[in-house]
Amino acid sequence: MIKRLKHFASVVGCAAAVALALSATALHAQEIKIGALFPLSGGLALLGDESLRGVQLAVEERNAAGGINGQKIVIVKADAVDANQAVGEARRLTSGDSVAAIFGSYASGIAVAATQVTELAGVPYFELGAVADTVTGRGLKYVFRSNSTAKNFADRSIESLTQVVAPALKVDPKALKIAIIYEDGPYGTLVGGFQKDEAKRLGLNVVESQSYSAKTVDLSSLILRVKSAGADIVLHTAYQNDAVLFFRQATAASYKPRAIIGAGGGYSLNDTAQAVGAPMEGVFDVDFPQITMNEAGAQGLKEFTAAYQKNFNMLPRSGHSLVNYVGAKAFLEILARAKSTDKDKIRETVLAYRQPPGSSAAGWGFQFGENGQNQLATTNLMQWQHGKLVTVYPAAVATAKPILSN
Amino acid sequence: MSLLLQLLVNGLLLGGAYAIISIGLTLIFGVVRIVNFAHGEFLMIGMYVVWLFAQHMGLHPYAAAPLVALLLFCLGALMQRAIIQPLLSADGHIQIFATVGVSTALLNLALMLFGADIRKVDAVFGTEPLSLGSLTYVSGQLITFVAALLIATALHLFLKHTYTGRAFRALSQNRVAAALMGVNVNAMYVLAFGMGTGLVGLAAGLISVQYPAFPTVGSYFVLTAFVIVVLGGMGSLPGAVIGSLFIGLIDSFAGYFVGPDLKEVVYFLVFLGILSIRPTGLFGLGRGSE
Amino acid sequence: MAHLLQPRAYVALLALLAALLIPIGLQSSFVFHLAIQVCVFASLAVAWNIVGGFTGQLSLGHAVFYGIGSYAAGLLVAHFGIPPWLGMFAGALVSMITALVIAYPTMRLRGPFFSLATIAFLEVARLLVIHEESWTGGSAGLNVPLQIGLKWMIFREKWAYLLVAFGFFLFTLLISWMVRRSRFGFYLIAVREREDAARAVGVNAVNAKMMAAVISAALTSLIGSFHGMYLTFLEPSSAFSLEMSIQIAMFALIGGIGTVAGPVIGAVLVLPVAELARGWLSAFGNGTHGFVYGVLLVVVVLFFPRGIVGHLSERVLRIVDRLPRGPLPQKELITSLRPSFHLAPKGTPILKAVNLEKRFGGLRATDKVSITLHAGEILGVIGPNGAGKTTVFNQLSGFIKPDKGTVQVLDASGVWVSPSTPEIFAKAGVGRTFQIVQPFAGMSVLENIMLGGFLHTPHRNEAEAIAQEVADLTDLTKLLHTEARSLTIGGMKRLEVARALATRPRILLLDEVLAGLNPSDVVKAIEMIRRIRDAGISVLMIEHLMQATMALSDRIVVIDLGRVLRQGKPEEVVNDIEVIQAYLGKGYTHAESS
Repeated sequence: MIKRLKHFASVVGCAAAVALALSATALHAQEIKIGALFPLSGGLALLGDESLRGVQLAVEERNAAGGINGQKIVIVKADAVDANQAVGEARRLTSGDSVAAIFGSYASGIAVAATQVTELAGVPYFELGAVADTVTGRGLKYVFRSNSTAKNFADRSIESLTQVVAPALKVDPKALKIAIIYEDGPYGTLVGGFQKDEAKRLGLNVVESQSYSAKTVDLSSLILRVKSAGADIVLHTAYQNDAVLFFRQATAASYKPRAIIGAGGGYSLNDTAQAVGAPMEGVFDVDFPQITMNEAGAQGLKEFTAAYQKNFNMLPRSGHSLVNYVGAKAFLEILARAKSTDKDKIRETVLAYRQPPGSSAAGWGFQFGENGQNQLATTNLMQWQHGKLVTVYPAAVATAKPILSN
Repeated sequence: MSLLLQLLVNGLLLGGAYAIISIGLTLIFGVVRIVNFAHGEFLMIGMYVVWLFAQHMGLHPYAAAPLVALLLFCLGALMQRAIIQPLLSADGHIQIFATVGVSTALLNLALMLFGADIRKVDAVFGTEPLSLGSLTYVSGQLITFVAALLIATALHLFLKHTYTGRAFRALSQNRVAAALMGVNVNAMYVLAFGMGTGLVGLAAGLISVQYPAFPTVGSYFVLTAFVIVVLGGMGSLPGAVIGSLFIGLIDSFAGYFVGPDLKEVVYFLVFLGILSIRPTGLFGLGRGSE
Repeated sequence: MAHLLQPRAYVALLALLAALLIPIGLQSSFVFHLAIQVCVFASLAVAWNIVGGFTGQLSLGHAVFYGIGSYAAGLLVAHFGIPPWLGMFAGALVSMITALVIAYPTMRLRGPFFSLATIAFLEVARLLVIHEESWTGGSAGLNVPLQIGLKWMIFREKWAYLLVAFGFFLFTLLISWMVRRSRFGFYLIAVREREDAARAVGVNAVNAKMMAAVISAALTSLIGSFHGMYLTFLEPSSAFSLEMSIQIAMFALIGGIGTVAGPVIGAVLVLPVAELARGWLSAFGNGTHGFVYGVLLVVVVLFFPRGIVGHLSERVLRIVDRLPRGPLPQKELITSLRPSFHLAPKGTPILKAVNLEKRFGGLRATDKVSITLHAGEILGVIGPNGAGKTTVFNQLSGFIKPDKGTVQVLDASGVWVSPSTPEIFAKAGVGRTFQIVQPFAGMSVLENIMLGGFLHTPHRNEAEAIAQEVADLTDLTKLLHTEARSLTIGGMKRLEVARALATRPRILLLDEVLAGLNPSDVVKAIEMIRRIRDAGISVLMIEHLMQATMALSDRIVVIDLGRVLRQGKPEEVVNDIEVIQAYLGKGYTHAESS
């Protein structure tokens, strides 16, 4: 009986494989294919998916307006959880599926690995959300990034400290004791590292800097260290679970710093705020632009939010969909202007593309450097006020004033 | 001084959380002799079910715990009967991979059904921060700790004084002889596995007050649980409890004095050190084979 | 070369070539990637199998060697400009040292203890690499500079990568095949199946395991170096990945551990399907492909617990064997290889145990026992159950160290030696059987006996010749090619003796070799023992069957309560009152002796 089942299963399996292979090679002429490479499963799935949504919205909008020079844009999804899979998927996209370009990828590890492949394959890679500076720091010619980098995040955090928090507390920034803590993955290490550098450059007093494993179930010892060091300000780069854990255990240990400045990740998510509850009130967050910005500084924001709600029946879960949308929109425009899928023509068009600040839904302008990095990409300072993440700095996009107690 | 006391308290309370998760694992290890890589995913399922009960029926996790335990008991028994039992006579490697497969499948199933968002239960009882002098802790942690000790004691009495308990102990010492003495091996295995996962269900109820549910939450606990069980000695209940407290203390003290990023290194090295002196763990049964 | 004309050989070669030619034929970047991945992971699985399959130690942290290999090569290129072709050897060296460091304390661990210890090492390595970010790049990762060319192992053309990957694969496969076919391979399997019995035929189990670990580590590391150059980006969580460790073990398992081809087949079957599935199934929603993968894994494990090779090999081999074959080279006749050992003159002592004492806690198991075995004699050791006979045996063969007293053996060159471990006893010329008979189930009768033969020669064909001779002596010639697990109890007992005999002992210790045999088997066994003695081997046997013992023994030693009660000629001992009391109790003192 089992033998027959095995036999049957293998026959069915073969038939299915053949069918799928055939369908995959069917050709459609009036389409232009673009790859979308994101972590859609595994630990980063949430924000990978959120990022993909931004791309999907940009493509939909563009297709409704006629596509790219009349051709309908088709997204070929690719899921990669680590560098190995990124390489595999990049190869798949650049060979069998022959995409014109690849959009991605939220996670720096994936971006760096995939771009090594696409560069050698001569396929343009449009990075929309990964923050590691090495994505555009390796001298590659066909890698372009629309979003801000880890250094932007770090610099903005320190700037928030010196320009917003310290003045509101009516103290000299140099008098404040700062703790810089971060998860030990690429994201935390990069941002935390740059924060340390910038703080040192400005002569600020960092009393504790520590990394911890993102998969930890206990941060009580870390909190005790920070508490013992007497830190007034905590700069924290974390994902969701560790952010929630931090707040819970800090409350348990009766540790309440004068201000907490998160750096994206878990700090921007509504779920996190809900899970943390009251202690989240007043917490600052430096991140990609969120939808709670002043429309005056971010043209098209309302339309984006409406389109998102219509498509996904909820409000955006983080700012990633917004920035991916904005970046994808710009790159799709560039593809249209290039009137070609030739990689050098595309590069030329990218470098020539200019948009003033405030002209996109994220409030960004566009101007790409030789290394492919958009130099007008920024991060904003937000604060959780009454359960909502509102933008408080810079003034052009602020929707509320920062609130600081004591 | 108060710092050291606080670290001690933190460590013990963390150990309590690890203990309830590890007790079920050591029971399965000890009786069925199988490394259940899906143990963390059972915890994850339990936590999702707790959250569902809270969302839709307003049940507090502590109230939901027995129900979840029952549900997980059935799931575990099913897994033993359907997947492990046919493989009992195969190599140990094979059994391990069956559980790896179940682990992957369950984790991704949760991802498919619930998405990657974290689901936290909105409980009030069990989340109050309390203090004893300058020592701070959360009520839920203390409840978990006490519960762990109570469960361990109950299980110990069960193993010592009931027929089933004795059968379990017999099986953990010598499978063949136990069978020859009339123990229905397969039924006992189903029962033991089910009990092990049922205990995980209780654990889920208890820790859901502190931790949210998300697809990969199991993997945060499982490796440490394995280390604890092996360290304490496979199948040894006191070993699991003492091992948990031990690891909790190392976590706390090493986290403070060495650094949060290296504390795992410390307890892995301690783990390896102990194993090289006592290959069967602190309280393990003699032989060290299987 | 004539061997290549055999169907099994050329089919295997063709299959391997297909892996190379198909991607080149299809000219698709993705198929190339797939083929390279298959080569890499098949190599990793084959390398893993040396430890996990052949030696039976389920390592779930093998990625630590892969990580060391990729980081060593990557770091040397990035920081010092050293080409990966050199860097990979540096990595292999570090891996081999690491393997020794890991293997030594984990040697005594079995099963899940060992697996978890390997995981612990993996995690420690990963965390340390993250911590030392100043030179490893930490979590942010390490970019391998994109320098194109053979020197840097980075190519524009995919086929170049494939050739290199294939080269590594062939190399790994070759090493694995050589190990399996060699004496070392035999020893590994023997250690895996029954460590005690292996030691009794002279296998140094600890050395064997360490050697296997070192070889496996070096191979894994080399592949890691190549793969690092292929990915051009290294990060700790991918390089020191628990998932990958489990995955390579899984390929070996699905294909069939313990065989050379198994891991390859596992990788070839599972990997492409998994990669392709990820492509299609992603469209259905996050987590779908992971779910299907997990379910498939369970299904495969349930239906193919012995691995695909285990289940299908017979059928496939039958088909393959029917293909046309070339002429086989004539097997040269190997003349008898009986080493001429110094036959001590009959009656002189060749084994002396003096005043052996052994306590287990409060129990005095051996109490001042002195036994002397003379050349050419059969010495029977009898005594009631629990008297401590096997304990004495274990002290005479190195399995238990006596608390007091000495054991000396006259070795082949006429020198008295005091061996300490089972392996040394075996080399000194003492062979033994075990009371509980368990042959090396995975091998044939011939291979079981060959294991003993390997003590004196590293060559397969010589060991085979010895085995043939011994099979003759123990009446196993007709059963040589059956699997050991399918023998009757009588056959298994003779196999135990045969394996011990193949080590060319001068002294043979038999532990209840007649127990459980039917009367006709007992008669045959008695004849066999006589033949053995006549061939020049002195025998010391524990027995319960009084008639057989009386018939065979030249002298008898009676042990009771750990002490020697009586020694002497059979008739004297058996009629001794104390002996009768010891066996039957005081109430039977006046019963007639049988």
